[in-house]
Amino acid sequence: MARVYVSSVISAPLGVVWDRVRDFNGLPKWHPRMRESRIEDGLPSDKVGCIRNFKLQNGDVIREQLLGLNDYDKVCTYGILESPMPITDYVATLRLTPVTDGDSCFAQWSAEFECATDDESELQNRLSSDVFQAGFDALKQHFGS
Amino acid sequence: MVKVVCSTVLSVPVEDVWKILRGFNRFDVWHPAMEVSQIERGDSPDRVGCIRKFRLADGSELREQLLALSDEEKTLSYCLLDTPIPLFNYVSHISLLPVTDSNGTFWEWKGRFDVPKGSADELTELVSKHIYNAGFQAIRKHFETQQTIDNGPHNFSRVPE
Repeated sequence: MARVYVSSVISAPLGVVWDRVRDFNGLPKWHPRMRESRIEDGLPSDKVGCIRNFKLQNGDVIREQLLGLNDYDKVCTYGILESPMPITDYVATLRLTPVTDGDSCFAQWSAEFECATDDESELQNRLSSDVFQAGFDALKQHFGS
Repeated sequence: MVKVVCSTVLSVPVEDVWKILRGFNRFDVWHPAMEVSQIERGDSPDRVGCIRKFRLADGSELREQLLALSDEEKTLSYCLLDTPIPLFNYVSHISLLPVTDSNGTFWEWKGRFDVPKGSADELTELVSKHIYNAGFQAIRKHFETQQTIDNGPHNFSRVPE
């Protein structure tokens, strides 16, 4: 089981950052690498079990299923159903936690997956920098931190 | 049941902060509210179940028991056994997480407890301000001082007033 963990501090209140990331169909609105997302079967994007079907900027199509959404603890968990990456059993979690002594929040994005040993470090690097850190960088830029 | 959650971000690596916080008998060295601390029965301070007995600046004595300690997760839990302050069923958790994109530390310190009727606000402020946030400030100041005088990451000395 390979693991990726990236965390950051976003200089905006927890609720504001959560509003921006909780929409499971909203990746293209805030993540620079994603475009053209839709939820399959016309389901609402906060219905646990719904599937988002989106494209990366390079045209690759990824299908991911919402496994858990927690507005109270500000956690979103999802798994990959289909992707061009040589990866299986991929489950990722995005979690926001308040930083109480400042008007900011602590953001964690992690994933576990199975892959061939030879591919592991490259996949870890791609996910941590191109997906997770790129997302945090976009949030930091948006919120001016 | 009252719940208090406080958190902060420090600009030092999580390993350096954990080296200090895991010392269950060393809070008196850095926390401004704590005077003299000792572990009962000569136990080791990282032995889960050990009891620390310490004195506050006002002379009152408290006893707290270590409930959990994890170097892997960088978490620490303890409860109050005896206290002159009316905090009942007090359990506290400390957890540290890395901020990977700045090599910093996210530190959460939370507690839950029961209080006599009418004193929830006062005791909540006591815990959040004078214990948790005062602790954050002391550790932050410690690392700032350390960076200035550069006395090495592991040479922890008394936090200046």
